[in-house]
Amino acid sequence: MKFRAEFPLPDVEWEPTRPFWAGAARSELVLPRCDACGRFVWYPDGACRRCGGAAHTWTAVSGRGRLFSWSIVHRPFIPQLADLVPFVTALVAVEEDPAVRLATFVVDCPHDRLALDMPVAVTFRPLRFAGVAGSVTAPLFAPRQP
Amino acid sequence: MTAPDWGFPSALDDVSGAVAIAGVGEADHTKASGRTTKQIAAQAIERALADAGLTPADVDGLMYTPFDGHQFTADDFRAHFGTSRELWVSTLGGGMVWAGSAPYEAALAIRTGHASTIVNVFSVAWATQRAEMMGGPGEVHAAELFKQNLEVPFGWFPQPVYFATIARRHMAEYGTTAEQLGAIAVACRRHANLTPAAVMREKPLTLAQYLASPMLCDPFRKEDCCLISDGGGAYVMTSVERARDLRRPLVRVAGVGVGTSHTGAYWSQQGDFTATPQVFAASGAFRMAGMTPADVDVLACYDPFTIVSLMQIEDMGFCAKGEGGPFVTGSTLHFDGGRLPYNTHGGMLSHAYVLGIAHVVELVRQLRGEAAAQVPDARVAAYGGYTGPQASTLIMERA
Repeated sequence: MKFRAEFPLPDVEWEPTRPFWAGAARSELVLPRCDACGRFVWYPDGACRRCGGAAHTWTAVSGRGRLFSWSIVHRPFIPQLADLVPFVTALVAVEEDPAVRLATFVVDCPHDRLALDMPVAVTFRPLRFAGVAGSVTAPLFAPRQP
Repeated sequence: MTAPDWGFPSALDDVSGAVAIAGVGEADHTKASGRTTKQIAAQAIERALADAGLTPADVDGLMYTPFDGHQFTADDFRAHFGTSRELWVSTLGGGMVWAGSAPYEAALAIRTGHASTIVNVFSVAWATQRAEMMGGPGEVHAAELFKQNLEVPFGWFPQPVYFATIARRHMAEYGTTAEQLGAIAVACRRHANLTPAAVMREKPLTLAQYLASPMLCDPFRKEDCCLISDGGGAYVMTSVERARDLRRPLVRVAGVGVGTSHTGAYWSQQGDFTATPQVFAASGAFRMAGMTPADVDVLACYDPFTIVSLMQIEDMGFCAKGEGGPFVTGSTLHFDGGRLPYNTHGGMLSHAYVLGIAHVVELVRQLRGEAAAQVPDARVAAYGGYTGPQASTLIMERA
């Protein structure tokens, strides 16, 4: 199978997640919210998984959340990640709707301070990968005071 | 306690006692071998038919998974075996969750007269494909566009990372330890060391060695993760009445259950992150069988990672949720005197990465009393099938 030359950088033009990456580029964390029930629809989907509503509006959230879980990756499973190990890849539960979990990197945190449900806040940083041209600004997360 | 709402059980007809597994076979399980997926499948089917005392001409049904475009089809069957008859075909067969649920579809086909002798087959050549830098188990996830655009850019990829993250949450939430995950890896390796066909038969593993080995993706070490190998398996299903006249001891299907998660293969969003859809599958299978987990003499679960074994043992009801760690400690899972003999061929961690088909083959051998690491007087066996989005439970008994 052939992947885009930019892989594993995201395809910021792919329509279902384009607003997410456009938001990150202006340092905003935006997520699709169901107009009918007000809950977030993550991953983006035609119908709200909770109420079935079809109209969703990309909405800015606070960028605060909790560290839901994580792994410290020592072995790069794809060569593009080779320069980054060891890195902390994680899921963050967002404050406005903890059922929404964002995959992210945890930054600015010693590994021995990582803790379940630790308060974190978004920080926008460029993603760069070995052997891949260019970068994309992405929402990463760092510890915050509760 | 309210029922979990992040998935649902399938409504299944009662097929208890409707179908028997009359023959089982495994292809050679190897590291990269240069064989194709179809060649491996053909060898497994040949051996399963020989085991049952049947010929290719007796076969009128074939089940497989069309998932990687390489699986053994009805045309392949006719071409390889030189038969001409039309086959009843179902793509709800193969490995993973379907290794457990295929007997349900087969029972319905037999009951309605569509087929009488049905082969379920699954094979992979992923070790060979990986050596050739193509294919393999991670690619399907990297190609999925939500994962490609929302997970892979953050290093949340591939499967070892998904399940290390699940294990980390399980450890933090329930107090599960590295020693407890290691106990699963050690039990599986010990069984593989006793099993001639196992890829890891010559490689012992102690708990101390496990704990001393480096982290791959913390909390996982290499030994928490399944092998990559070439191999496959097949089993032959027919009615219980017909199976009585065949050459092998009768092994009949007592219960089947299937459960599905609403979030599909997006593990990151699954409602209960540290559970499997066995939560929705197992109870239906035990109800159909008229049994409880306490009746099971030997268990085999689809085990891509130690934590998937642990979660399924909990979710199938062998212990309370969150108590899987203490439960599996020590010799609980060992074939010789353990409270719950588990993956007695070594599972995907140490036997072969053939995605569950060899688990069912092993359980049938256990019920016949012909396994390498034989559980004394095994009468009831259960298989836990898993794909992420779905789980299945298959309960078999020696008649």
